[in-house]
Formats: sequence, C-alpha cells, structure tokens
Amino acid sequence: MKIIKISAIWCGACLITNKVWNELKNNYEFESIEYDYDMDEEEVMKLSPGKVLPVFIFYKDDVEVKRLVGEVSYKDLESTFLEVGV
Amino acid sequence: MVYLDYSATTPVNEEVLDTYVKVCKDYIGNPNSLHTLGVDAKKLIDASTKQIADILGVKTSEVVYTSGSSEANNTAIKGICSRYSNRGKHIITTELEHSSVIAPLNYLTSLGYEVDFVKLDENGLVDLDDLASILRKDTILVSIASVNSEVGVKQDIEKISKVIHENSRAFFHSDVTQSIGKEKIDFSCLDLASISCQKFYGMKGIGALIKKENIQITPLIHGGKSTTIFRSGTPATPLIASFAKALRLAYQDFSSKYQKVLDNRNYLVEKLKNEDVFINSNSYCIPHIINISLKDIKSEVMLHALESNDIFISTQTACSVGDVSKAVYTITHDKKRASSSIRISISYLTTKEEINIFIDALRNNIEKLSFRSSL
Repeated sequence: MKIIKISAIWCGACLITNKVWNELKNNYEFESIEYDYDMDEEEVMKLSPGKVLPVFIFYKDDVEVKRLVGEVSYKDLESTFLEVGV
Repeated sequence: MVYLDYSATTPVNEEVLDTYVKVCKDYIGNPNSLHTLGVDAKKLIDASTKQIADILGVKTSEVVYTSGSSEANNTAIKGICSRYSNRGKHIITTELEHSSVIAPLNYLTSLGYEVDFVKLDENGLVDLDDLASILRKDTILVSIASVNSEVGVKQDIEKISKVIHENSRAFFHSDVTQSIGKEKIDFSCLDLASISCQKFYGMKGIGALIKKENIQITPLIHGGKSTTIFRSGTPATPLIASFAKALRLAYQDFSSKYQKVLDNRNYLVEKLKNEDVFINSNSYCIPHIINISLKDIKSEVMLHALESNDIFISTQTACSVGDVSKAVYTITHDKKRASSSIRISISYLTTKEEINIFIDALRNNIEKLSFRSSL
C-alpha cells in the first residue's frame, strides 16, 4: 500500500496531524510520499487536492482507493489504513 | 471608503510618515560608520530605542528590531529551539496561532521537535489546568498569542506565564501583534514577544522581538553586530525612528481612544443584533475585533459585495481545515458558523457614521444574496 500526504507549512491542521501521521509511520510499514502544497505544486495539482489540507490519499496496486481530508485523529487514520490494507 | 480592517493593517499616521521622510533625508549615515553622519544616525537610533523601551517597560538591550511580527515569531521560535535543544525538544502552542507561528513549528517538527496543543475552553481561553498537565521536563517553549486575530479572544498572559514558570523551565513567547497599541501589555511576564508597527499606524517593514536580556537565541540572520547581535543587517534608522514615534502616539490619550473603540463596538453590536447574523466575538474579546457569521452566504461573497460598496472587511485567515475558522469553531462549536464568518475590525478612527453605512450595506447585501441563493 502507498499513502500520499499533501500538507503545507503554514497549515495549522497539518501541524496537528503531523503527530498522528508520524505515529502511523512508526507503527506500520508502508510506502509514503509527502508533498508540500506550495513547493511541489506540479505534482500536487495533478492530484486535485481541493482547498482543504492535509490530504491523505490511499493507493492499492497504484489505484486510489480512499482519501482523507482535513484534520484527522489517529483512530480515523489507522482505521482507514487497516480498511484499505485488508 | 469605509475601512473596517484595522486588524489586518492600519493606515500610517501622517506624523509617523513625516518622521520617516525627515530621517530618510537628514540621517543618511550608516549607524555603524565611525564618521559624524554615522554617529548622528546611531544617536538617533539609541534615543528611539530608549523611547520604545521606556514605553514598553523593558530594557533597551531587550529590543531586537525585525522586519515585522513574522520575522520576530520565526526568530523567537527557531532561535530558542536551536539554542536550547540540549534541554529538550518539546513545544506547546494553541490552535489559534498565526501562520507565522504555525509555519516555524511545522518546520521544527521536521527536525524532530514535538508540538502539543493546549486545550481551550468554551470561550477560547487557554485551559490553565491542561497547560500545567502537558508541560514536561523537556518543554523548552510555549508560544501563545495574547489576542487571536480572527475573533479577538484575549488570553490572560500573566496567568499563563505563572503556570509555565511555576511548572517548567520553558520560555514563554507571545505574539502580541494584535494587542500592541490596543491594550496595555505587561512585558515582565513574557520571555519573548513579537511586535509589528503596521498594526498601530506605523510603517510597514519594521517590528521587534522583545527578548529578556538573560535569554540567548540563535539568530536567523547572521552577520555583523547591528543594534543587537540577534539580528544582523544595517539598522534601518528611518524605520526605527518612525517606530518610536508610532508607539508614542499609540499610547498617547490611550484611555480616551480605548473608550471610543469600546463605544463604537457597543454601538456596532447593538446594530448587528437587529440583523440576520450571528455574533461570534464574546466578552473575552478585545473591543477592536467583532467577528460575525452569516446565514447561508459565503463569507468571501459578502466580502466582495461589501467591497463593491467601498467597504472593506476580512474573512478568516486563509488556511485549511475545510474553509472552517478554527477560532470561530472553538467558540461556537458550529461548523456552519465557522465557515461563514467575517471580521470587522475597528479603531479609534472609526466613526458611528461609518458603522451606519456598513450596517445598511450589510443588510442590503444579505437581502440581495439570500434572494439569489434561494432561486
């Protein structure tokens, strides 16, 4: 499984969610790509992130299967991860 | 034009501008030069710094000039974390901070620092018990703004300081950008504070970090000794002189100016009670900021509708969280209200006539836009 995370350095929800994201990465092994909304504009725009950050895009066999948007709890992130991973 | 966006920035005071122009013309020397022109410029800077320090109740050595609050916030946060990383890597803040606090914290998390958020109560005030409970031995910094820019909630920085200093060795930084010139601030309870002159009718491009003398920080900008070693660069003599002037004028006739804002705020709120809006700012907010929510009209749509009437207000600070204002949500617990809020920020220059013009335009636009959205 692969998860792409899109966040911005000025975004409060992204700062809040950093801890949750790091916890998931510590607890599970998966491929992760992190894009900065401003710095990686070209890659980010291809993914149509919308106005709300952060964005977590879950891929299975390189196909997008789920997207979480905005401030998320560890519980929500982990349960989505497990749901997609199964 | 009716300008009701004084919390975003203020128009420069004519006297401040005159000072700036005069110093630009008459003090051309680099204050670091040894010749007479340099010495004269340095003398003017020293006199300005003394005036600023006296007004704020701090030492002259505690004034570190910056380009504004964003630089001051970055200098304080990154400077403390770099200098005191041997003590720990834990930082505490709130969810109501400006992006120039959020961004350096986000950056620091990428370097291994850990950020926790203190809980806020139903009024948007810091929960002091929660703050005491999350302070740790390795907490090196707590950064909490004195006043939130969106709804105007004023934190009790003296109580917050007491909790921090009684329970930890952490430094207390406060972004006082929305307080300076509007409220009296006790700088003795703050280890570091960020100031911007453009919020109190000063020039854009100058501000300061007020830093206790015994605290060391790693500078963001290294170079030669400027007015302090904490921020290098040729001192901007005209901006510094205009800073002193703006600050002196801001606190001149302070009580009468404050009372005028309070009267205008009460007048505006009474008028707003008759309109189809929710008033979000509460009794813990400074009178200069009145945040309201619209019913079924997007805040940006209203902003532009008012703009076409030559009236200028703000919507929430551009950020994330699904177009929802975190500050408004904290107070109202209502996502709809938090997604349709506008900020009206007034000053002692605001008149009742301007408020009347705004209220009439608001009412007309609500009718017009509500009718359109019902079609």
